Amino acid sequence: MASYYDIDDILVEEQRVPVAFQQAVNGVDIDPSAETHCVEPGSKVELPYWLAHELHLRKVAKMKVPACFNQRTKLELGADGASVDLRSRCLYFYEFGCKIAPLVGDRDMGSFLLSAFRTRYQKILAKAHNAAFTAHSKLLSYLTKEETNLYEAAQSSMAAFKKWRIGGPRFERASVLGRKRKEAN
Amino acid sequence: MMYGTKAIQLVKEIANGEKGQLTPFSSDVFSEVIAECSQHFADLRSLIRKMQEAGLDVETTKNEDHYGQLIHHLSLVRNKRCLMAYMYNRAEILRNLVWKVGSEIPEEIQEKLSHSEKEYFKKHSEALKSYMSRVVLELAVDMVPPKDPYIKVRVLDDMGEVELPSDNTANFARHSMHFLKRTDAEKYISLGKMEELTG
Amino acid sequence: MAGQSDPNVSIFSGEEVEFMAEDEMVEIVPNMRMEPLNMLCGDFGPFYPQMATQVPMWLAIALKKRGKCTIRPPEWMSVENLTQILEAERESQAAFQVLPFHYVEISSLLFDYASGDIPDLYMVRSLINDIRDARFLKVESSLESFEDARSSAVKVKNLSAMEVNVVRPFVGRALQAFYKHGSPDLVPNPEAMSARRPQATDNIQRRPLRRR
Repeated sequence: MASYYDIDDILVEEQRVPVAFQQAVNGVDIDPSAETHCVEPGSKVELPYWLAHELHLRKVAKMKVPACFNQRTKLELGADGASVDLRSRCLYFYEFGCKIAPLVGDRDMGSFLLSAFRTRYQKILAKAHNAAFTAHSKLLSYLTKEETNLYEAAQSSMAAFKKWRIGGPRFERASVLGRKRKEAN
Repeated sequence: MMYGTKAIQLVKEIANGEKGQLTPFSSDVFSEVIAECSQHFADLRSLIRKMQEAGLDVETTKNEDHYGQLIHHLSLVRNKRCLMAYMYNRAEILRNLVWKVGSEIPEEIQEKLSHSEKEYFKKHSEALKSYMSRVVLELAVDMVPPKDPYIKVRVLDDMGEVELPSDNTANFARHSMHFLKRTDAEKYISLGKMEELTG
Repeated sequence: MAGQSDPNVSIFSGEEVEFMAEDEMVEIVPNMRMEPLNMLCGDFGPFYPQMATQVPMWLAIALKKRGKCTIRPPEWMSVENLTQILEAERESQAAFQVLPFHYVEISSLLFDYASGDIPDLYMVRSLINDIRDARFLKVESSLESFEDARSSAVKVKNLSAMEVNVVRPFVGRALQAFYKHGSPDLVPNPEAMSARRPQATDNIQRRPLRRR
């Protein structure tokens, strides 16, 4: 369970989900096509997950599978998982998928996420420890947030190891102060 | 505009910022979120009033007004989470700052803080100081495992005559080099006023 | 106290791992006479010229820097032994040879502070670098092949402190992701449900922590 203050978790829950309203709702402005402050039953609206899933659980509206988990994405990931641009589909692909799966009753979603992650994980690992950052900027532009975090975790611990090996000053200017100083020199 | 859109701006500001770095406190967006919260609260109340005037039981009736209240309630909860996360994550950076630069906030950080954050920083560093004096341990030194008790440094900022924690005084003119007690030098290095020389 | 120097990263810095390695014992040959040192971490000495004695690495280095002793490189740092290890490391794709838990840090400290005390310095240094590189490559390839879709742990024997430290952030995150996406709530699998109970007995066979 993510922490209440978790920035990434809050952003995952901001992802849009298509819903169809089953009940009428009064006094709100969430249906851009509505002319009044009301939502009619049957209205189709895109809502952020934090709102959609609560309404779904209370049977006020019914959630549908968001576009980023459609059949085409599944096929593409199945064919050549490592080279699919997931970032443009959903920056929080896996986390969002985990939240959505139990609600929309998609029995395959879990194993689909897992196998996608496994194929892509191998490629990230292979690239992360080896070459320079810029050489793989194309790969980086495909990665979801969690994949980027993984890549950076691998990169930065390897870089830290190399820095230790080379030696040099042990004490440094606090990074929180930014990098102003270097420019002045 | 969808509810909670302003609040997510604050969260994105934290997410997009460089890790461990502070951005200027977004007081404008912050108060806009508060304003949205007040609006949700007012809308919620007027929906309740409407049901009461119609003689309906507010607790059990599930009509369109009830669901309207639900959405305003959820939006309030959501906005609150975003505001709290914004404050919490900034406070975390501030707490780490005390360990790095001591109890005085450097100018470049000072201007990024809200009034209550400055207050928080002051109180936190006071609490830390009083704890350290009670356990008679300077906990903020040797954040990097020490090698030698003395290190060689070069002064980057003209500081003139300075009294060091070890009760010595030294004249720190710009570009002058010194052989200092590690514990004396550590704070100046992390403030960027000196650099360690090796080799 | 992990990652004191960077509160946002849950690894030890290289400097911190090195600091821990400095508690390892090493043999020195003093060239001076000195009373025993009674310290919190133990009693060392007395010190007599030409009489070998055991001290922690940090003390050995402090004495060495002041020209008070020579350091005897540990036995595993001989050219013969390292050549053998390197061969074995390259022969087996999966297994890691047994080396001291802090071999990376200890050798690096000795190269930095006592290079004059190491016979065949050049050979020893390049052998250790080769061994380290060969092992890092192996760690990577063993991480690339999580055979079991539901693996929430990975077992690699004989890794050293620095090697573990370098891969820890990545492996930790990756396993967490595997665990989360493979959770039974998401992946319906009757086998996983019935396999839950025997898992508890597996845990009993957990190996004791490596003694150092």
